Amino acid sequence: MKTKGMAFVVSLLLVLLLAACSTDSASEGGSSDGENVNETGELTIAVVPKLVGIPYFNASEAGAIKAGEELGVNVIYTGPTEADASQQVSVIEDLISRGVDVIAVAPNDSDSLTPVLERAREEGILVMDWDTPADPNVVDLSVNQIDDFEFGEAMIDKLVASMGTEAGEIALLTGGLSAANLNTWLDAVEEVVADKYPDLTIIQERIATNERQQEAYQITLDLLRANPELKGILAVSTPAPLGAAQAVQERDLQDSVSVVGSALPTDSGPFLEDGSLDAAILWNPEHLGYLTVYLAKELAAGNMPQNGDVIAGEIGPISVDGKKVIMGPPTNFVADNYQDYDF
Amino acid sequence: MKNILKTKELGIGAILLLVCIIITLINPVFLTADNLADVLKANAVLGILAVGMTLIIITGGIDVSVAAVTSAVAVAIGHLMLYLPDHPVSLVVVFAAAVFAGTLLGMINGFFIVKFSIPPIVVTLGTLSIISGALLFITNGNYMSGANFPEVFTAFSKYEIFGISILIYILLFFSLITWGILKYTVIGRSIYAFGGNSVSAVRVGISMKKVQYFIYGYMGFLAGIAAVTQTAYIRAVDPNGLLGFELTVIAAVVIGGASILGGNGSIAGTLLGTLLLGVMQNGLILARVDSYWQNLVTGTVIILAVSYDHLQKKRIDAQTAQIEVK
Repeated sequence: MKTKGMAFVVSLLLVLLLAACSTDSASEGGSSDGENVNETGELTIAVVPKLVGIPYFNASEAGAIKAGEELGVNVIYTGPTEADASQQVSVIEDLISRGVDVIAVAPNDSDSLTPVLERAREEGILVMDWDTPADPNVVDLSVNQIDDFEFGEAMIDKLVASMGTEAGEIALLTGGLSAANLNTWLDAVEEVVADKYPDLTIIQERIATNERQQEAYQITLDLLRANPELKGILAVSTPAPLGAAQAVQERDLQDSVSVVGSALPTDSGPFLEDGSLDAAILWNPEHLGYLTVYLAKELAAGNMPQNGDVIAGEIGPISVDGKKVIMGPPTNFVADNYQDYDF
Repeated sequence: MKNILKTKELGIGAILLLVCIIITLINPVFLTADNLADVLKANAVLGILAVGMTLIIITGGIDVSVAAVTSAVAVAIGHLMLYLPDHPVSLVVVFAAAVFAGTLLGMINGFFIVKFSIPPIVVTLGTLSIISGALLFITNGNYMSGANFPEVFTAFSKYEIFGISILIYILLFFSLITWGILKYTVIGRSIYAFGGNSVSAVRVGISMKKVQYFIYGYMGFLAGIAAVTQTAYIRAVDPNGLLGFELTVIAAVVIGGASILGGNGSIAGTLLGTLLLGVMQNGLILARVDSYWQNLVTGTVIILAVSYDHLQKKRIDAQTAQIEVK
């Protein structure tokens, strides 16, 4: 009986493993457009987001596809359905066997991608990262949306301005504790707080919300309950500010608690309107997708980008430091201007 | 016999009480009515799904498609609500549609499990993949804001009786119904018999097919209810919001003392399991535990709770065995 139970548990685990694989392979069918990429003779650029099917990466997909059409290159935009490092590895392995020319990836976990990216380079594939940096030793070019420090500083400055005071308790919400770019921004935020706003207290370090609006909502409700003195919430990752704003809205605390974060303007609209979200600060994800494909094409042709380049007449001027490219300063989306954007 | 029934959930209940006391000592805000209501409200969806899952786990089956079914129904009623007028009848329509869609999806699981005798985990894994794949394709993962829902639905989601959210009453109502089914109906007793020993159950004339259709259909029905509850709770539809939630549901049932091999489990235990998970999440924030430590603490408490619970059961089993020998 005992071995039978054991066998059941083991098979259960195996099946769960299978489930993990199957969801991942399901995602790859979605946006493939070129089975035998090598025979077309055209340049094929694979852009891998952290996950597919969230508004932010849908917007960058639109930009990448648009660039592909305008620049005459094949663009494959594919990624895991969950922000999962191992699923992303297998997506990249598939892309290597399909023989693409360039892989640009937004890593869920930069370290776990290093071996597979090394293999890609051995196969003669150019490797780039975008959105989130990978291990700098394995990439030929790194596309950053923003200067991380500048972005962190912009968010905390905006939060302090919305709070109207430089003293009090604030909370930091993040999408996930292992996301490199989110951590870099929060590092910057913490540094700025220590230097510029010493009277601000950050409660409970960084609070993870698993890239989910609902979890951010639930956690913020608890936070507001536990910390009646809370004055501000700074939330990074696109769903987190919305969840935090929703909780503030639910408790009718729009006037006493400020929320600032990195969110998309259309999603933020309802919360910006009633003041539960004070400002969404972000770059244009469509531009980021476009820029990634543009730079990939240039890289394949052997051209490195130059400081001050403006792409497609509206992206940039970019700044270049060695392999690192930065798209430009962030945009503030507030109640007055969010309607001007369609992502 | 009555004593044994009483003590069956004692282990998990004791741990829950202990956790509550510790959290209250750290932050007295925990023990306020408002906060406890928050915990219940936030875990209403988990509770409703876990109650349905209890029946399935008692039979030795499993349904890993619950979260996907719930998301699918939520997306469906989200779209439906865009066309509904602001009238109380709309609420009835929403509930009816949700329950119908959920039960239908549950019955599909039941059909394959009964008709082709495929193990439940394989069938439900298949439907999980199909449903979540289709959802991603249809919605592209986009949120639906509750701003476009009929006013009556928003009012419903904020409705309170004696200061307690309607969502908590929904959880209690369906827990009570399910408890009644398990305890007082033929089908309920058949579920236990089936999970205890399916061969003997068939020999005494219990229809395996009927039981399986019932539990998977009922799970779908509750998933429909959970979908309405979920939509009311976040006042939006997030197609990705419940991704992987089935594991939390199964965890709540198993923490509550149900055996994954079947034959064991109770609604009270499952509700305690749900509460323990909910209290931990709320309590760790109230106790201002750093995020980095939260998972570690949660895991430790779960292992402690389940070990204590099993020790307790073993002791009771040993006692009963002795009495029988004498």
